[in-house]
Amino acid sequence: MTVRKFVVGVVGMSALLGGGPPASAHEMTERYIPVGQSPGLSGKYTVIGKVQTINVRDQTVAIVGATGTWSAKVTARTKIWLDRSKVRLTNLKGAFSDLRPGATVEVKHEGHQRGISSGPAEWIKVQVLPSP
Amino acid sequence: MRSGELLSSPIKRAAVMCVPSVFLAVVGLSGCKAASPPPDRQSQLIAKGSDLFFNETFAGNGRTCGTCHPAENNFTIDPAFIATLPKNNPLFVAEFNPDLKVNFENPALMREFGLILENLDGFDDLKNTFVMRGVPHVLGLRTSVDSPGGPRTGWSGDGAPGDGSLRSFAVGAVIQHFTKTLNRVPGVDFRLPTGEELEALEAFQLSLGRQQDLALPLRLRGTVPKRGQEIFLDNALGKCNRCHVNAGATANFGGGSLGNANFNTGVEDLPDQPARLTGKVVPRDDGLRTPGDGTFNTPPLVEAADTGPFFHNNAVETVEGAVAFYNGAAFNNSPAGRALAGTDPKGVGIRLDATQVVAVAAFLRVVNVLENIRQSIMLLEASLAVSFSEEKRRFLERAIRETDDSTRVLKGGGLHPEAVAHLQEARRLAEKAVRSVFFSRKHTEEALRSHKKARALLVE
Repeated sequence: MTVRKFVVGVVGMSALLGGGPPASAHEMTERYIPVGQSPGLSGKYTVIGKVQTINVRDQTVAIVGATGTWSAKVTARTKIWLDRSKVRLTNLKGAFSDLRPGATVEVKHEGHQRGISSGPAEWIKVQVLPSP
Repeated sequence: MRSGELLSSPIKRAAVMCVPSVFLAVVGLSGCKAASPPPDRQSQLIAKGSDLFFNETFAGNGRTCGTCHPAENNFTIDPAFIATLPKNNPLFVAEFNPDLKVNFENPALMREFGLILENLDGFDDLKNTFVMRGVPHVLGLRTSVDSPGGPRTGWSGDGAPGDGSLRSFAVGAVIQHFTKTLNRVPGVDFRLPTGEELEALEAFQLSLGRQQDLALPLRLRGTVPKRGQEIFLDNALGKCNRCHVNAGATANFGGGSLGNANFNTGVEDLPDQPARLTGKVVPRDDGLRTPGDGTFNTPPLVEAADTGPFFHNNAVETVEGAVAFYNGAAFNNSPAGRALAGTDPKGVGIRLDATQVVAVAAFLRVVNVLENIRQSIMLLEASLAVSFSEEKRRFLERAIRETDDSTRVLKGGGLHPEAVAHLQEARRLAEKAVRSVFFSRKHTEEALRSHKKARALLVE
């Protein structure tokens, strides 16, 4: 085997065995974690704020928080969850229509990127509050 | 012994370097009541983590981390251990909590094969969407969690929410396994661990077992284990060291370390998997991600021989069987098996004869026992260092358990009968030390000497 073949083999094998992009964690339990409490993510790789505007045509949502404004694009990959922990009910799967102006949300953009102001969302948690 | 001699053996060198952290772990396990020196912040954190690990239910169904990772069984569970538990043990919560009776566990598969139900692909279809997995031990995590692609926790390497770290893994475990009902409402069915609790749990888990990998080859005694090590390290024969560098959990294919990597080794393609033979519904486990890519996380091998059954689905009972798996069609036709064959000049995967399988297993048994002896010695020395009799007893009893593991692992492979005799003597002396009021120190020191004699028969 030549060195080149070996290197090609190694690279191929690395990709095959998971040496590609960083693996995202399973989302099975993420859905149950209330807004702002996701260990290692909240306040580090996520943004928390209130929905300011919604663009249905572009499937984007603008969020305003204490330190700025962000935009998140909802794609086919984006998970939307309804965080009902404040009403002591189980969290549910949500939809784009659950994003309403004024709602408190937590957005995790795709990838582990700090401080980005826009881009596709990996997940969005929408906080459901008790009825007044 | 001169220090130069001590450091001439890699495993002894590793043992020496591990003393401080292991001692911390030992102190942590014991509840940290030693008289002196005063515990520093790290040992306090480990002690807090130990207390949480074994006692905190997070307001859930009664389980703790220690329910599935008990210290007295090498931080894992197997059918033999499960059979010793009382019927009201929280492990069996699906058998006595009506809210968890259906779709939370499969009690029959848990009792017969040590399998735990996991809803890795979500909780929306509990009846059909689940996998059955064994419980990985949590030893040597400091050497096995890190990966360039992010932390690897759990069997598929991504068993945690949040950032996937060991710290986050505890959150996932609470949501998955501690819940009172299948609604899984935080604040109702359980409470989530706080940041401080996660920090302590992480510190405790990282303190368990080895703190660094071995440096192979060891200067082993014993013809068969020595040959097993040669095969293990031979990239043209055993090829084991490619994915388990130094018998650890990191992979290296010549282009540098991949860290702790995931592989699709074809375990799911084994034809006669025990749990499936029962006729019960056991869906195929697709491994990492949702939907999965079929890959699973590489476990370390140093602690393997006494922590079976093996693989993510407990498909194989003995370490010999686990080594033999890599000879079979399931592995050699798998993506990992084909990739491994691709690195061979002749395109050959793994083809070991029966004696070679046994030799590799013998090597794994011996490195496991060397680790057990190291821990036994640490525990015995720790018992000499504390003044409280209760603490002393706990250390000695843990040392006895490690010694029992050593003898069981060696005898299981028909290895080193003289070392077994020394280990049995060490056990007898440690038991005498537990019972003795006036001669505990003398018996403990004799037990230490017996351990060192046993070790000297395994490695130069």
